[in-house]
Amino acid sequence: MRKGTLSKAVQSGISRRTFLKGTAGSIAAALAATGPSKLLAQGIFAPKLIRQNNTIVFAIQEFAHPAIQSVLPQFEEDTGLTVQLEGGPVSGNDMLTRYSPAFASGTSPVDLFSDADDSSPTFMRAGWVMPLDEIIPQETWDDFPPSMQDHIRGFLSIDDVPYRIPHEFAVGYFFSRQDWLEERGLAAPTTWEELVEVGKEVSDPDNGVWATTDGLIKPALLYVYVAYLAAQAGGKVFDFDDGTAEALQFLYDMIHTHRIFPEEALNQDYTAQNELYMGDKVWFMRQWPFFQGVAEGNTEWYAPEKLVISLPPAGPAGSKSWIGGWGYSIPTYAPNPDGAKALISYLTSKEVAPELAKQQGFLLTPRNSILEAMSDTDDELIAAMGLYAQNDVFAPRAFHPRVAEAQTVVDDMASLFLTNQSSLSEVLEQGKQLIAALDQ
Amino acid sequence: MTLRSPANRRHGLFAQLTLQQRFYVVAIVLLLPAVMLRTFTAFYPFLQTAYLSFHRYNPAFDHNGPVFVGLGNFQRMGADPVVQASISFTILFVVGATFAQLTLGLAVAHLLNASFRLRFLSRALVLIPWAVPMAVAALGFRWMFDDQFGIIPDLLRTLAGIEMRWLIDPNNAKLAVIAVAIWKSTPFVALVLLAGLQGIGRDLYEAARVDGANAWTSLFYITIPMLLPILITTGMFMIVWQLAVFDLPFLMTGGGPGFSTTVIAQKIYLESNSLNYGYAASISMVLVGIVAVVGVIGLTLFRRFDVSI
Repeated sequence: MRKGTLSKAVQSGISRRTFLKGTAGSIAAALAATGPSKLLAQGIFAPKLIRQNNTIVFAIQEFAHPAIQSVLPQFEEDTGLTVQLEGGPVSGNDMLTRYSPAFASGTSPVDLFSDADDSSPTFMRAGWVMPLDEIIPQETWDDFPPSMQDHIRGFLSIDDVPYRIPHEFAVGYFFSRQDWLEERGLAAPTTWEELVEVGKEVSDPDNGVWATTDGLIKPALLYVYVAYLAAQAGGKVFDFDDGTAEALQFLYDMIHTHRIFPEEALNQDYTAQNELYMGDKVWFMRQWPFFQGVAEGNTEWYAPEKLVISLPPAGPAGSKSWIGGWGYSIPTYAPNPDGAKALISYLTSKEVAPELAKQQGFLLTPRNSILEAMSDTDDELIAAMGLYAQNDVFAPRAFHPRVAEAQTVVDDMASLFLTNQSSLSEVLEQGKQLIAALDQ
Repeated sequence: MTLRSPANRRHGLFAQLTLQQRFYVVAIVLLLPAVMLRTFTAFYPFLQTAYLSFHRYNPAFDHNGPVFVGLGNFQRMGADPVVQASISFTILFVVGATFAQLTLGLAVAHLLNASFRLRFLSRALVLIPWAVPMAVAALGFRWMFDDQFGIIPDLLRTLAGIEMRWLIDPNNAKLAVIAVAIWKSTPFVALVLLAGLQGIGRDLYEAARVDGANAWTSLFYITIPMLLPILITTGMFMIVWQLAVFDLPFLMTGGGPGFSTTVIAQKIYLESNSLNYGYAASISMVLVGIVAVVGVIGLTLFRRFDVSI
């Protein structure tokens, strides 16, 4: 633009001086409104700017909010703090997606959060969550049974220092249609061989009726089932060892050789799996404890004999089902760490944890205090937990420092084999190489 | 000419500048927000990505910061079957979907350009797939292609006797994902081409008809040459846009079966979600390279066919 043109523009409209004065005034007003002392202390983008120090932001999946809210008034009255509940991610992958960018930049949108098995090892190793050994009292740790102590030591700790405390005890239960079995004079299968034998008798693929099924869509769901079978075969799933090979071959045979397991499950999630079961198309299936609530909620369909939990069919290593679940962690960069420490101690205390467990299966673990408080209830999941504990069904979840990536490798390899894209020996070899590459 | 009167001087440094100096100061002040925006949202991320692509960096394991590995990440890609599969499927997806979208889009645009009753309603209805969010479309089609619950396998079985397993067969899964992309974006292409068609004078077609041209010769000697600038622009847009596709295959198949429908963006997502920032950055640079190649081809075509941009 030439000088003359600029001058004309200046003459015809707002003057430069007025414009610059106005701009400077607006910026000054905005800075004054946000509070200069906070800006100096915390930076423009720090979440603390908009949060009062007496507020604790706690992220947990929304269906658990009513239970949590029921115990908060006492905490808020005792401490003078306010707890703000937020909906948490629903999977480990979502957890990493949502929180990693904030944690990596030294901030945190939450003070306390419910974390998944798939994401905890990463957060722990990155130093993004706090050690809990000095925050949670020893009596709370002692309240967990030995089967969970192993999980805490193996999966939730580094050098025996725990970084997450479990609030959920997720185990794949084996649900059976007892009504159908009795009608046909059959019993729920107790071994892999019986599963195949009974399965062949009851399956009717042409009419869409299957002995068993699962949700096996990638990412992660196929891993869950392969790891379940690998535990029963005595395999270490991330080693792609003989037990894992046996598990993969058994699953392949159920799908392709015996046709007692629908191939379509490879692209189905748990919603589709549950729909098949409640649509009277499946005789038995492994499913997480949440299915009990889903089925009971389907009042038109539900009857106790349609949903009987029995021991998983035993493979070469016995009747096994791996345990996992969710737990509470405090981000290293929590804006209100002291409040978060107080809240996590309160929620996991021997007094409050049983209250939460009574209301929500997602907050149920076989802690001594919880089992004692619920001993007089006829809760199906509590009974199943006892049955599985008596029969030594619980197997530790397979651990790898890069667990999310290792699970993806298992997902990919199993999918290649089960869809006839690679042979068993090829996927075992390639799986070992990919896992080895993770360690480099 | 200078403006250094005593009256101006009392207003500070700015008033002491010449008019030309003030012009540059104002220009810089006005440009600064845009420059900063692009710096923080484009230049810096790009440079940081390029830097990380030559490093191994996972904050969970590399506590001392990024470790320089030279071309190590790129060598690793050569041995990574998922990366190779994702590159080949991404190219197949982009080429197949874009070609079909342009072809079908042109056909639909012709139909919508014809004179018939309820033409305006038809144009609105055709746009519905474009208005459906991609995540909704992906999840909806996952159910529709399901062999146990889905309407598509059922219709094919019932009406045509075709037995096909869609999302659990590697080749059919690829076909299904590409088909949904075509369904989703063809209306947009059709709308753009319709605007182009309306700009072609009727007299050209009438003159051609007098000279004995039929519909096909009119298409190849009038419509397509006249639409070529728009076809190239739209085609380039669709290619670049679809190279970064993620939501459709991820939600429809999870990248499976195996990794047959895994796209480059999904692989980048998985790696960055595992905090493998170095490796994810190197795959991103490959994607940048592919986009750059496509961009150069596009610019060449733009110049050749005199497309104004």
